[in-house]
Amino acid sequence: MAKPLLERQVSLIEHMTSAAAIFGGAGGSAPGLEGIDPALLRVEARFSYAKRMEKITAVLPRTFGLLGSSRDAHVRAFVESCPPTTLSRLENACRFYQFLVSCWKHEAPNPPYIGDVAALEIACAKVDADPGRPSPDRAHSGDIRRCPSIILLRCTYDVRPIFELGSEKAVPVKRDAPLVVALPPGADGPQVFEVAPALFDLLAALDDWTDPQGLDVAPDFAKLIADLAARGLIEVRR
Amino acid sequence: MGGQLPAVGIGFRAAIADWTRENLDRFDALEITVDHCLAGSTSLRAAIFDLVGRVPLTAHGVGLSLGTDVPLDLAYLDEVAEVVERLRAPAYSEHLAFTRVPGRETAALMPLPKTEAVAEQIIAKVRTVQSRVPFPFLLENITYVFEWPDSKMSDADFLNLICCETGAGLLLDVENVYLNATNHGFDPHAFIDALRPGLVREVHMAGGVTIRDESLAKPLLADSHSHPVPDAALDLLEYTLARHTPSVIILERDDRLEAGDEILDDIARIRARVASRAEPFPESHGRACPGHPRLAC
Repeated sequence: MAKPLLERQVSLIEHMTSAAAIFGGAGGSAPGLEGIDPALLRVEARFSYAKRMEKITAVLPRTFGLLGSSRDAHVRAFVESCPPTTLSRLENACRFYQFLVSCWKHEAPNPPYIGDVAALEIACAKVDADPGRPSPDRAHSGDIRRCPSIILLRCTYDVRPIFELGSEKAVPVKRDAPLVVALPPGADGPQVFEVAPALFDLLAALDDWTDPQGLDVAPDFAKLIADLAARGLIEVRR
Repeated sequence: MGGQLPAVGIGFRAAIADWTRENLDRFDALEITVDHCLAGSTSLRAAIFDLVGRVPLTAHGVGLSLGTDVPLDLAYLDEVAEVVERLRAPAYSEHLAFTRVPGRETAALMPLPKTEAVAEQIIAKVRTVQSRVPFPFLLENITYVFEWPDSKMSDADFLNLICCETGAGLLLDVENVYLNATNHGFDPHAFIDALRPGLVREVHMAGGVTIRDESLAKPLLADSHSHPVPDAALDLLEYTLARHTPSVIILERDDRLEAGDEILDDIARIRARVASRAEPFPESHGRACPGHPRLAC
């Protein structure tokens, strides 16, 4: 008697998303899939795997380039430990990034700045995807807050040259690099700004609507706020 | 006033958004992936909705997984309905396939066992879609690498049964018919002949690659959407147009998108085949494209 349809579908997709089916090693018929040519299942598994990896590399192209000779081993380990659970390009990329971060807890990242490159690529993708959250009503006129759609990233290396020049030409300098990733009004895509540490800390503190009068700030603070608002980093409640 | 020829266009892709806008006058319509409107980047969503009113748009989904044997995501369907309305699209299409099971997603379209029992399950699902998305619903035939051993019906009979019971139309992927017929050894013309009259509302065309692997019994044609449409698929399109009256033909291209000349050449080749079948279609609705009263700006 044929198994229920969902049970058969589960068998198929679990097999197809397995490292054994994708990379080889699944010799005979998969359990529950008797009567289907294993070679054809392997073709389907590789199609599906290729689509998933296309999505991830589209978000993390520089990171993949920097993985170099360790790329295949990392990808295989990722496939084995993190089967696909979503169609989303960003979610799959975030999952791969989290996997790399967990690897780097046990092995030194190579090159040492690859973690910052990956974090910046993910931040750019998130900023581009995020429509921002609506303003709550409890803000008062004149209150300010960090734009919900920007991301703050404190890097150990200044990796921006990799994004500007390409990884083969850039040599990131190891130094504190407080970065802001934002999608300013009218911009074609996410922009990356380096800001002074004090400004980074201010933006980090402005998590919610804040009365600027209560802040211990410099005399030209109003000009600074206007500038940050024009760049899409701060919102000012009207 | 005579009937109209089918509109010819391409699937809108983010990577060539600027190029598409620059060449908008070369296309009668663009196909929008509904899921890009729901989960795409801010810039992609803006680019898509900027097209509304500039060119007729059709709405095609990839995220439904109609064939997974679990209840449909009604919240997702409600979002789809809003998108189709906003795009001013004449219909909503999805694949007769499944892509996921609870907790696992393949991003690849998997075939269903072609049995009457499975058809009954799909019929119920289609009716649910039709109750949540108040636009004509079209099912697309997919290409498949393997068949379930218990499949008893032909592709055409399976599609006919589901579409005729529900009133859903068919988004006929002619390239997929060509691939499946070649890979699985059936007559593609007999498939086209077997489709019920009036079923085919839209058409997809594409070009793929041949996979050669020593583990395979024979080379496999794959639907990669990466290369020019083969002449054999265009021949099959012409055969289809002699028997069916789709209102729009969409060229699908997902790879090697930098080859803009190839894409435009494919559009020209499709138009040439359409023109060679230029017996006017029956007048319908008095609008730009018969069968699709909304397929106009």
